[in-house]
Amino acid sequence: MTNRNDDNSMAFLKIDNAVKRYGDATVIHGVSLEARAGEFVVFVGPSGCGKSTLLRMVAGLEEVSAGRIHIDGADVTDVPPADRNVAMVFQSYALYPHMSVRDNMAFGLKMIKTSKVEIDRRVAEAAAILKLEPLLERKPRALSGGQRQRVAIGRAIVRHPKLFLFDEPLSNLDAELRAEMRVEIATLHQRLGATMVYVTHDQVEAMTLADRIVVLRAGRIEQVGTPAELYDSPVNTFVAGFIGSPRMNFLTARVDSVEDRRVRLAHPALEGALLPLRNGANPKAGDEVTLGLRPEHLTLDAAGAPVTLAVTSEYVENLGGSSQLYARTADGTRVIAQAAGRHTTTRGDTLRLGASAEQAYLFDAQGQAL
Amino acid sequence: MNPRLLGRVLHLVGLLALLAFTLFPFYWMVSSSLKDQTDLLAAPPVWTFVPTLSHYAEIWQDDTVSKALLNSLIVAGCTTVLAIALGAPAAYALARFDFRGKKDLWFWFISNRMISPIVLALPVYLMAQGAGLLDTHLVLILIYLSFCLPIVVWICTDQFRSIPPDLEQAARLDHANQWDIFWRIYLPLGLPGIAVSAIFSFIFSWNELLYALVLTRSDVQTAPVIATSYMSGYELPWGKIMATGTVIVLPVTVFALLVSRHMVRGLTMGATK
Repeated sequence: MTNRNDDNSMAFLKIDNAVKRYGDATVIHGVSLEARAGEFVVFVGPSGCGKSTLLRMVAGLEEVSAGRIHIDGADVTDVPPADRNVAMVFQSYALYPHMSVRDNMAFGLKMIKTSKVEIDRRVAEAAAILKLEPLLERKPRALSGGQRQRVAIGRAIVRHPKLFLFDEPLSNLDAELRAEMRVEIATLHQRLGATMVYVTHDQVEAMTLADRIVVLRAGRIEQVGTPAELYDSPVNTFVAGFIGSPRMNFLTARVDSVEDRRVRLAHPALEGALLPLRNGANPKAGDEVTLGLRPEHLTLDAAGAPVTLAVTSEYVENLGGSSQLYARTADGTRVIAQAAGRHTTTRGDTLRLGASAEQAYLFDAQGQAL
Repeated sequence: MNPRLLGRVLHLVGLLALLAFTLFPFYWMVSSSLKDQTDLLAAPPVWTFVPTLSHYAEIWQDDTVSKALLNSLIVAGCTTVLAIALGAPAAYALARFDFRGKKDLWFWFISNRMISPIVLALPVYLMAQGAGLLDTHLVLILIYLSFCLPIVVWICTDQFRSIPPDLEQAARLDHANQWDIFWRIYLPLGLPGIAVSAIFSFIFSWNELLYALVLTRSDVQTAPVIATSYMSGYELPWGKIMATGTVIVLPVTVFALLVSRHMVRGLTMGATK
C-alpha cells in the first residue's frame, strides 16, 4: 500500500526510472522526472513517442514494468488508479453517455459514498467555475464538443484530486474552440493552483500552457525546461525542430575555421557568419554541422545583417498581418522566413535573407547543440 | 417511365411479394381459426366467410391450453432471465479481458449452434431420464439455456466491444470496482444488445417444439406441444389447431412488433461507429 517517503517530499510528482514494456517491445526507456506542487507540466512529442503511455502510468491505468512513481511523497507504483487520488481528462472525454451532466460529475463521489449534500455542493461549485449550470440535466449527446470537454474537466474538479492529468484534451476540438479552451485551462490552473500534467502533440499548447515542458521522443526524454529555455536553448535538432512554429530551418554546412570560440561556416548560400559556440564542444575545421535558423528570426532585408543567406523564392503566403516566404538555397534546402507586413516576390527571384549571429543555432553531425 | 421511378416501382413490387409470401401462412392460420368446419374443408378455398369464434370457445373449454401457455411462460421467462443473467457477464469478460483459452471458449459458444438439435435429442432424453428430470420445467429451461446462452453471449459481446474502453478507465479512476463498471456502465449502455438477445431467447423458448415434445409427458407440456397434440387419431380438427396456433403466436408477435425498433438497433449495433 501507500508508503510515505520523506526523500520525495520536495517533488510532488516523481517518476523514477520508469520503464514500460509490452512483451519484447520497450516503449518507455527509464524516464525520470520531477514536478513541483502546483506546477503545470506538459509532455509533448510526436505520435507514438510514449507521452500518453507515461501519463497513463502515472494514472495507474498502465502497469509500470520497472521503476517507481511517487505522488505527494507516497510510492503509488503498485496502488490502484482510484487510490492515487488523481483525476484524468481523456481525449475522447469519456463521459458516461447514459448519465446527465450532473450524474457524470457526481459519479466518482457517489462511488466513495460522499453525502448527497456534499455532492450537490461540489457539483454546483464545479459547474459555476466551468459555466455548466444551465446544462446540468442534459445528456452528453446534447452537448457541443467544447461543452463536453468542460464536463470532463468538471468531473475531474469535483473530486478535488491531488493531481490532474490531461490526455490530449483539446485535440477533438476545432481551432477556435481549442484556443478558447486553452485559455480556460490556463485560468483554471491559476485558480485551483493544482498540479497538472498535460499531454499534447501540439507545441503551441505546450508553449502557452506549460510551466515546464518535457519533450519526449521514442520513449525517452529529450529535454525538460521552461518554454523559453526550450525555445532559446534546444539541446538538439529534434527539440529545436519541434518547438517553434513554423519549424526551424536546418542547413547542413562544414566548419571552415574556429576562432576564439566562434566558428566560421562554409556553405554556398551563407555569407559572413562568425557564430558563437554556446556549449563546451570543440568542433574542428572540416566537421559537418547543422545550422538552425528560426523562420521568425530571418529578415527579408539583409542589409547590415551579420549573417546572410542567398535563396531563390518559391512562393509567399500572405497571412494578413504577416507573410511567410518559402524559398530554397542553391543546394535545394527548403527555407521558410516569416516577416511582418505583406510582401510580394516572384517565383525564381533571388533574395538575401538576414539573421543575427546570436539567433543562429549550431548542432554537430549527431544533432547535439554546439 | 423514367428509370428511377421504374426502379422504385419494381422495388415496391418486390417488397410486396416478399411480404405476401411471409405473411400468407399467418393470414391462413388466423382466417382458418375463424372459419367453421365446412368453410375450412371447402375446395377450392373460400375467401369470404362469416367469421366464428367457436374454435376459440372450444379451446378454452378446459384448462389444457391455458395450462400450456402458463408452462410456456414459465419456461421461456426463466430461460430468458437466466440466459441474460449468465450470458451478459460472460460477454463482458469476453469483450474486455484477455485470458487463456478465450478464443477456444468463444468458438465453443458458437459451435453449439452448428449441431442440429435432432442429433442431440436422444442423448438429452437419456440424460434427463437418468437424472429424473423428465416432464419438469427445469429440464426444458436447462436445454433451452444451452441454446440461448450462445445467442446472448454472441450479441452482447459484440455490443460491449463497441463501448469505448476509455469509459471503463474513467470509471476505474472514479473509484468504481469491476462490478460497478459492469452494472452501472456496461449494462445500461449495452441495453439494446441485451434487449435483442432477451427477445431472441424468449421467442426461441416460446416456440421450441422438438425438445418440448421429447422431454415432456403431461404436466409441463408447452403450448406448441398442445397445438400438435390435436393431430392424433383419425380426426384433424383444423379450426382448433389454428385457433391454438393463433393464441400461441399472438403474444410474441405483438411483443416483437412493440420492440422491433430495438431489435433493428441492436442487430446493427457496431456496424457503424
